[in-house]
Amino acid sequence: MKDNVVTVFDSCKIGDKVSINYEGKVIYYQCNSDIPFGHKLAIIDIKKGDKIVKYGEVLGFASEDIKKGDWVHTHNVKDDYKIIDFMNKVSNDS
Amino acid sequence: MEFMGFPRIDGSIGVRNHVGIISTVGCINEVTMQISRNVKGTVPFTHQQGCAAGLQDLELVQRTLINIGKNPNLAAVLLISLGCESDNPEKIAEEISKSNKQTELISIHAIGGTIKTVAKGIEIASEMVREASELKRERCDCSKLILGSKCGSSDATSGLSANLAVGIVADFISNEGGTFILSEICDIIGTEKILAQRAASAEVKEDIIAAVNEYHKRGKALGVDVIGINVSSGNRKGGVTTAVEKGIGATVKAGHGSVQEVIRYGDKPTGKGLCISNSPGLGSIALTGEAAAGAQIALWTTGRGAPQGHPIMPVIKITGNINTWNTLKPNIDFNVSGIIDGSETVQGAGNRLFKEVLKVASGKLTKAEILNYCNIADIARFGPAV
Repeated sequence: MKDNVVTVFDSCKIGDKVSINYEGKVIYYQCNSDIPFGHKLAIIDIKKGDKIVKYGEVLGFASEDIKKGDWVHTHNVKDDYKIIDFMNKVSNDS
Repeated sequence: MEFMGFPRIDGSIGVRNHVGIISTVGCINEVTMQISRNVKGTVPFTHQQGCAAGLQDLELVQRTLINIGKNPNLAAVLLISLGCESDNPEKIAEEISKSNKQTELISIHAIGGTIKTVAKGIEIASEMVREASELKRERCDCSKLILGSKCGSSDATSGLSANLAVGIVADFISNEGGTFILSEICDIIGTEKILAQRAASAEVKEDIIAAVNEYHKRGKALGVDVIGINVSSGNRKGGVTTAVEKGIGATVKAGHGSVQEVIRYGDKPTGKGLCISNSPGLGSIALTGEAAAGAQIALWTTGRGAPQGHPIMPVIKITGNINTWNTLKPNIDFNVSGIIDGSETVQGAGNRLFKEVLKVASGKLTKAEILNYCNIADIARFGPAV
């Protein structure tokens, strides 16, 4: 799975351009809002319900349509983590 | 690859040659500290456990103290007991001495108060240090290394730099026939499915899931939202959006190897390679679990800058945050911020870090050791204080 978000290592203001090195190419993105240091920016449009992918893994799902350049965080991502009922223990014991 | 270590009679290798002054119960910590302060070459191991706990916790404390005593970084062990604690100091002493390590036990009740116990302890520890000081470092194979890991005071750089560099070291040490320990079950929440896919057997797969589920279950019994605690408001402020995101950022420390085993807190791994210690995440407790597992060194990644070491093992502090490196340099050992600014590859930083591990294994001191900022330790407790 290809990542559809990147982490910014500067405090970005609305309209700032962010560059990333991606497979040898430098790509620029414009921030649609302020993005704090360490937060995520969408590098493609992500539809409501689509996967948010970082580290090649699914972090959660978009809770609304996200545009390229948007700040991606708890306001537009649904945490879909579920306890694995692998041995049927947690639910039975509780 | 090799390093210069202290071979022990039981076949393990120490990277330090300390005499351990170990409390069997929390209420005598002052005596342990006073003995250690007076005898160069000793390290104090203090904690708040050993009494007023359920049987399960007492058994945990006992096995942890036995295995801390057996840690190869200790040349000899002096156990300090009160005389009425609920764990069994005689049993602890007997088990440690089975590793053919000189082990002594003194009790405040038997000797007659703290003043005489401190004096007696100084006398015994002095002799132990004198004997230990004759031991020399020898060339040892790094398959004998057991490395612990921890992340704490993390930030957005941790999962994208320092933890990845540690992951390279984890793969290195496993390939060399050594052992790497991932702790902090709270931190692998969200990645149990991914880790379970890397389990060496169906049994280990079950153990991984069970360790995480047990954690949830304990939280539920106390009415605590484990995920809410784990992904703290500080984490969210720092950019962590979901439990899976935090979990992956933390578990990249374990590299790419298959998980060979999940061990109980305080136990030693039975084999080599990547192992998970079923431990809480609090640094003072997680590191003790790793030291009990036989780890000689721990790698602690810290984006914001955690200063503490551990009495039993050198703890190498690694940051990927250039600001933290610049401002907290007196407390941080290793800078991998080049991964963030693009001037160094993850592989390059990992190679460099592995060399640093071998240097520390051969005697190079960590900053926490130099500043004597190592006396923060405790043992896990899962049940209530009674």
